This record gives sequence, C-alpha cells and structure tokens, in this order.
Amino acid sequence: MRETYGVVLPGMNLTDLTGRLIVIEGTDGVGRTTQINLLKPWLEQQGRAVLVTGMTRSSLAGKGIKQAKEGHTLGRVTLSLFYSTDFADRLENEIVPALRAGFVVLTDRYTYSLMARALVRGIDPAWIRNAYSFALKPDVVFYLRIGVDDLIPRVVFSRGFDYWESGMDLHPSEDMYESFRKYQTDLLKQFDVLAEEYRFEVIDASTDVRAIFDLLRDGVSRVLTAEPLFAASKPQAAEEAAPETAPQLAEASPTASSASEAPPQAPETPAAPQPTPRAAEAHRASAAEEKPGAKVLVNAAEGEPST
Amino acid sequence: MKRYGEHRFAGKLFVVEGIDGSGKSTQLMLLHQWLQAEGYGTVFSEWNSSPLVRDITKRGKKKHMLTPATFCLIHATDFADRMEHNIIPLLKAGAVVLCDRYIYTAFARDVARGMDSKWVRELYGFAVKPTGAFYFRVPLEVAMRRLLDARDGFKFYEAGMDLGLSGDPEVSFRLFQSHIIDEYEKMVPEYDITGVDATLPIEAQQAQMRQLVKTKLAQAKRLRVAP
Repeated sequence: MRETYGVVLPGMNLTDLTGRLIVIEGTDGVGRTTQINLLKPWLEQQGRAVLVTGMTRSSLAGKGIKQAKEGHTLGRVTLSLFYSTDFADRLENEIVPALRAGFVVLTDRYTYSLMARALVRGIDPAWIRNAYSFALKPDVVFYLRIGVDDLIPRVVFSRGFDYWESGMDLHPSEDMYESFRKYQTDLLKQFDVLAEEYRFEVIDASTDVRAIFDLLRDGVSRVLTAEPLFAASKPQAAEEAAPETAPQLAEASPTASSASEAPPQAPETPAAPQPTPRAAEAHRASAAEEKPGAKVLVNAAEGEPST
Repeated sequence: MKRYGEHRFAGKLFVVEGIDGSGKSTQLMLLHQWLQAEGYGTVFSEWNSSPLVRDITKRGKKKHMLTPATFCLIHATDFADRMEHNIIPLLKAGAVVLCDRYIYTAFARDVARGMDSKWVRELYGFAVKPTGAFYFRVPLEVAMRRLLDARDGFKFYEAGMDLGLSGDPEVSFRLFQSHIIDEYEKMVPEYDITGVDATLPIEAQQAQMRQLVKTKLAQAKRLRVAP
C-alpha cells in the first residue's frame, strides 16, 4: 500500500497503485528535462508505459501560475499554495491513475523543489511540510546535484538568467548574475538538507549528459527490478484505509498510521528508507517549539516573523 | 489556543461568519456604516476578491473540475493572495478591516468535504487572528427560505453537489450545509467566536455587534475621513 507524507486526500485510494513513482530533482538548468527525455524512450523500448509529468502542468492551475509569474505579483505564501493546488490536481488526475494502471511515472521535480524554493524565501518549515504532506512517497528520488560554479556556465550559455531562477523577487538587484549566484547557492543548501532528510539518491550532475544518463539508467533499472517499496495489498491495508473512507471523523493525525510498514531494504538501495511519519511528526513538533507562534510564516510585506 | 499569530498591527480586523442566508452581510454593511460615521478608516475585504486566482477558481467551478482537495487549495491560494496583498497592508496602515467570511468558512466547508481538520487549520496558519469574529446562527430552514426568496436555486458547490450526496440540489444542500453548521458550532468555543442569534430583529443583532466592536476599538486610529 502506498503512503503519503501525512494526510490522505478525500477519495484517494492508496491500494493497488502498482506503478512506480520516480522523481528527478535538481535545481534550475541542471539538466533534468534532458535526462527525462532520454529515460522515457529507453523505458518504452523495454515495454514499460511511461507518464512524464512536472510542475505547473496541471489543467487547473498550470497556466494561471505561468501568467501570474509573468506579472511577478505573487506573494510567497500565495505562490506556495498555488503550486500546491497545481500539484494536487496532477496527483489526483494524472499520477494516481497512472500508478493504478501500472505506469512508470517520471516526474520532473516533485514537492521537494517547491519546499526548497519556499524555504529560501523564509517560509516556516513546518508549515510548508504540512502544506505538501498529501504527496505520495515516491519509490525513489534521484537528485541531480551540481555546484553553483558548474551551474552558471550552463545557464548562461543556454537560456540565460531567468527572473525567478535568479530569485529576483528576493534580491532585487540590477545584476542578474549576482542575484542568480546568491539565490542558487541558498537553494542548493536547502536541497542538501532535503536530500538528507528524504534520502535522495544523489547523482553528480557536473559531468556530461551521457555519464549522468548511465547512472540514472542503472538506478532506475534497480528500482524497477527490486521488490516494490510499497507492496500491493497487505492484510493491514484494510485497517489503514479506514480513516480514508471517513476522513472528516478522523481526529487523530493520519500521519500516525503505518509507521514502519516499508519492507526492509537491500543495502544497495539507499533511496529506500523514508523518514517514518513519526519522525516527521517529531520534527514538526520540534520546529514548532523552536519558534513559538511561528505558525505564521512570514510577515507578508516585510518578511519578518509576525509572532 | 495558538493556531495562528496574534498580530500587532495598528489596525483592527472584524469578520462575520455563517451560512448563506444568515444575514451576516447585512450586519457587516450596517457595522461599516456606523464605523465610518464614527470616523474610523474602514475597508471591506471580500472573499474571492483576488483578481489573480479568481479566474481559475471560476473556471474550475464552472467546469466542475474541482475536487475537495483542489477546491480547498485554490481557495487557500486566493485567501493567501488577499492576506499578503490586501489585509496585512491595510492592518499595517491602521485601518479597520471588515471581512465577509474568513478562515472559518474554509475550515467548515473543507472539513465538510472530507479534508483533514487539523491539516486545513495548519494550512491557514499564515492568517492573522481577527480582533473580533461573529457567527450568525440561523436554523437551516430559515436560511433556505431567505435564499430561495432571493434567487432561483442553489449553486453546485454551495449545495455540495460535487460530493454526490444526492442528485436533488435541495436535498444535497440540506445535508451539506447541516454539516457546515456542525463545523461552525465546533469552532465557536475553539476560536472564541461570538455567536449571534440571527433570528433576532436586525437592529438587536447590530446593537450586540456594535457593543463588542466598541470595546475593541479603544486604541484604533480615527482617521477622520470624510463619510
């Protein structure tokens, strides 16, 4: 049975999602899309049905986010929630149906990118984790890791600096280079923290496209041949499904269910162990303790905590 | 109770809640008139007023594309935009801000749609705590009569038709709104909301509102704006 990072959305049945959910994460311009464009035909040649999805591609909110970003008018809380809407729409209408049909779902970024961007913008960590806690835990996250010095030439000599990728909303400056450098440095730091917390499989993305693809291909093969991380149906599945049928009655946090359900993993699959929901809960609790009253993310206009 | 931050802005925030047909909008309008006459800089902030997300919400509703999750999140997005770009700046400027519906509306209808109650409350953790919140309590029959006098029928999402409770809009409305009323009643003690008997004469309700608002306006700025 599949798991989420916290709540289960109403009407979402997590049993028999037999496909595999494979996430490619990495910062702007690192080459995620290039790799996905290589992985898809390779998987299809082996007879696997593939769904490719990515951020801001929902039919509900995708276009709206793009339009709003062109106007540069979104506040950071608003943007986080807009992305969450987009993600929920894709999860319900694309990802879950594809997993149920046994597809390999390749997703170009996942909630981790959204978290990293929000964290760099000073959003409360416990809040952002909660906002995306309905996300399904993927089978594996491949993180294409790159240093800012290797990243810059790639961006400059391909598409140039982009307003949002340079964090111009954060570091208003005439100089896109300085802004890009500072913003991406901060973002990569957040990614490293998330990589640890969510056990990403880190791939060195400073090498050439072919070498990165070889590593990814090996990783994907391994995930596809290994025992599924989320086994089809187990005896206790019925029990766990109970809060889903009547979520409005569930007083207890759904995070508490099925703590260590994942089967023990072979040592060569480091991507497997997910942080247990209990640990996430503890994390959330401690984060809340550190900042009393900081449910409030940021004081919208000034970025100061308004406790 | 510390679900969201108590603001320390110069302004004041008063909100009204209740199901459609409870008379809350009328009461807020009367309060607005009075506050202006008293010389307070008073501004309305309306639910669903953000031009940015409004179009998407409208389209999603029109095409019935919204699930409980996306209904919840798109409204939270809209509300966040309003919070960041409208309510907080106004409160900083020292205005008395009036909201017809606030986060409690979201809590009631999202939980009635099956969203996790704790999760939704956390989601709205960015909202500032109102200076005063009023809940207009009305029997469902009374509200429905008022509503049907004013218009032809019930709207799709307002009647909870997306939940498939019943094919009959009136039956569905009754079931869904009853659940919403239950959720509101839970929030009255939880958030220290002032309950108002919405079957009383309009002026009696208004007097109760003004009395409470007056006690909370002690240090508010009187801007002496032209009425």
